[in-house]
Amino acid sequence: MSNEVNCKLKINGFLYDLTIPDDRPLIFVLRNDLNLKGTKLGCGLEQCGSCTVLIDGKKALSCNQTAVSFQGKDITTIEGIKVNSKYSVIQEAFIEFNSAQCGYCSSGIIMSLTSLFNKTALPKKDEVIKCLDNNLCRCGSHYSVLKAVEKIIANIDHKKVDN
Amino acid sequence: MSKLSSGPSIKIYNLVSNWIIFDNNKVKILSGKVDIGQHITTTLSIIASRELDISIDKIEVLNLTTKKSPDEGFTAGSLSVSHSGTAVKAASITFRNLFIEHVLSKFNVEIDDLNIENGIAKILGTNQFFSYWDFAQLDNYNDIKITEFIQNRIVPINPKKQPIKNKTITNIVTGNHKFIQDLDFPNMMHARVLRPLNYFSKLKYIDNKLILNLKNNNINVLIKGSFIAIIGSDEFEVIKALNKLKHSCEWENLENINNRNVFEMLSNNKKDSLLVKSGGEAFYEKIPDKHIYDDKNFITLNSEYTKPYIMHGSIGPSAACSIFQNNKLKIFTHSQGVYQTRGAICEALKVKEQDVEMIFMPSAGCYGHNGADDAAFEAGIISMTFPDKHILLKWTREDENCWEPYGSATLSKISGTLDLKGNIVYWSHETFADTFMTRPSKGGAHNFLSYKYINNDFQKRDQLPKTAPHMGIHRNLDPLYNFKKTRLVKNLVHNLPLRTSALRGLGAFGNILAIESFMNELAFTANIDPLTFRLNHLDDNRAKEVLINLKAQMDKSVLKKNNARGIAFARYKNSAAYCAVGIEISVSDNAEITLINSWISIDAGEIVYPEGIHSQLEGGLIQAASWTIYEQVEYDTRSILSKDWDEYKIIGFNNIPKINVSIIERIGDPFLGVGEVVAGPVSAAIANALFDLLGVRFKNLPFSKDKIKSELLK
Repeated sequence: MSNEVNCKLKINGFLYDLTIPDDRPLIFVLRNDLNLKGTKLGCGLEQCGSCTVLIDGKKALSCNQTAVSFQGKDITTIEGIKVNSKYSVIQEAFIEFNSAQCGYCSSGIIMSLTSLFNKTALPKKDEVIKCLDNNLCRCGSHYSVLKAVEKIIANIDHKKVDN
Repeated sequence: MSKLSSGPSIKIYNLVSNWIIFDNNKVKILSGKVDIGQHITTTLSIIASRELDISIDKIEVLNLTTKKSPDEGFTAGSLSVSHSGTAVKAASITFRNLFIEHVLSKFNVEIDDLNIENGIAKILGTNQFFSYWDFAQLDNYNDIKITEFIQNRIVPINPKKQPIKNKTITNIVTGNHKFIQDLDFPNMMHARVLRPLNYFSKLKYIDNKLILNLKNNNINVLIKGSFIAIIGSDEFEVIKALNKLKHSCEWENLENINNRNVFEMLSNNKKDSLLVKSGGEAFYEKIPDKHIYDDKNFITLNSEYTKPYIMHGSIGPSAACSIFQNNKLKIFTHSQGVYQTRGAICEALKVKEQDVEMIFMPSAGCYGHNGADDAAFEAGIISMTFPDKHILLKWTREDENCWEPYGSATLSKISGTLDLKGNIVYWSHETFADTFMTRPSKGGAHNFLSYKYINNDFQKRDQLPKTAPHMGIHRNLDPLYNFKKTRLVKNLVHNLPLRTSALRGLGAFGNILAIESFMNELAFTANIDPLTFRLNHLDDNRAKEVLINLKAQMDKSVLKKNNARGIAFARYKNSAAYCAVGIEISVSDNAEITLINSWISIDAGEIVYPEGIHSQLEGGLIQAASWTIYEQVEYDTRSILSKDWDEYKIIGFNNIPKINVSIIERIGDPFLGVGEVVAGPVSAAIANALFDLLGVRFKNLPFSKDKIKSELLK
């Protein structure tokens, strides 16, 4: 059995003081200990991207790495990406373009894109594709996702021109 | 008077109250179809909202439960809208007509004296009103029969269409959409199943010391025959126990997987051969020999096309949640046939149907019969051993990839004879496959994966061929083209190595790939362009129109240098939507197909929810492109090798074409399903584009870079 350890995690701006096994992957802490079910368990093998979260604003997979290894970092899940209680631009665009079918992979895709837009204000198409390289979707929502991203980029571009 | 095609649902559930409940200022819709990502709940909401002329916010589509939802069979075959949608439409129109008649008579007024808004009829010039909810309170509400043939509305519905809201998407983008895997109950236990080595493995040894050790750490192990489940309150501890225990088991391997060339087996194994006639029905009749035409006045071509085993590959592995309490079993499931699976569970567990309630919960897209039903059965067994607590069973990625019933490998042997004018005078198509029909239902409990391990019953059961039009293997074997003489043969082949069942489109995918590739082979031989060649062999004007529209759409953009385009057409089951597909591809330096652009021209009758149609068509195109370019289940004599996403490649964001959907709408015509219409044409369109680009006819899926490379090196 595992060692129970004290672990402080900052998730979506809240600090959680937990006693958890030292080998428990982050996803099980998020989903089962903290009831943050938006992060999905897909393969448990770091292959499908369903469990993507942000660590200090950058995308990371949560299905294998232990929760304790993320102490001192800023963890963001799909539940934490609204801006001032409003949908983020990515969420808005996904709603507008109906960019999901079953929706199981959507959290991971949205988190990967959030990471990209955190890093790059105006990403190029190949950067978008590369960013979604590890996000699998089986229903085939890809095209609607790419259309949503195109719209976001066009809007940003447009604003820049306006300014 | 217009006639609404009734479908089977209204025939059995012929009361308005079977479909609509007016409750607490809300309109609740019951349906026997489940939302598997095709957003049928949104479509049904729109239909009810329009026909009842009521705000969509007031509509709620209830999850299917065997306690009160209609049993509409499987959610399969692109029939959700034509079955459930038609029923909800007819129930809504009936209700509204009777409501208006009642109000007119109750208040002794004329139609012009009424203002009906959001389910409330106000009598103009008075303070009087009467609502849908008042009407539904009347004693006879539960007896109102759906008027299935007269669908004229006494008062026309508001022509101003309400803005469509996909009720699910806002929950999805915020992580609030609840999947079955997200269920949580007080004191819930998590479970995993320890799978055997392969299909024919009997448990020989398990380490009892380890089991005791696990028990001391609050992890229980359930062993029934060769079925092993691990149960505990902590999910990750259960996964760790599974991995430990897996290595301690020994199995008696009763039979290896036969990994000889499956296409030879399809051709040579024992089989049931049935003659398929125009209309698509299969008959136990003597199969006539192939007709031979002289080669002076005719040209005959022969071809063979193959498709390997492919998997559903749901992104979220199958799951179920079950509780056994007071001798009653309650199972949450994402099965596409909730009632049918309940029948099989009752048979397997020897319990009465009234003691088992099954409730549908969404899961990741499954596209047919994957592990959902097996998981429901397994969760049921476990919960009967550990009563009074919810058991949430999840399959692992390896379970999903290695143990789901695959879409069968298929083989099509096809011949066609042209006269000297380029007309097809003879068409022979023999199709070979394993079954697509092993969904569990009453009398078919043995179809559950774990049934055999629990009972150590490794008996092989030959399936019987299905004969109804366009069932399973012979789906779309009967072409829509007007060939003068045809010979169509369905072969259900036995003793094949892998577990198979329904996967999106069933036999249609392989059959349409063959038909539509071969049409191009014949067109090329006849020196007629593929579009004209198809039009020359079609009588159905709607079919012609989708093809002509496809060309018009494709002509709007210029074909780029070093690219090629292919087209293909089918009407799924010859009864669902008409669909023509065009695809533009290139082949990269490393011989990989790159999808550049695509066009879908569709006639799906009356359209309720265009965004939903776009979504299904785009998704279908991308999934079929993935099957076509990348997918193949690999296995050796011991086990399935495609056990994860590294070993089973599917399409990614790096190969998604532009997708142009053009809908020919036919207001007032019956709804025609679209969920599975696009797959076959996509595959053939890619094959046809490849031929145009490389001058090589690729006939064996997947059209992988290795295959293309070896052709290019020839």
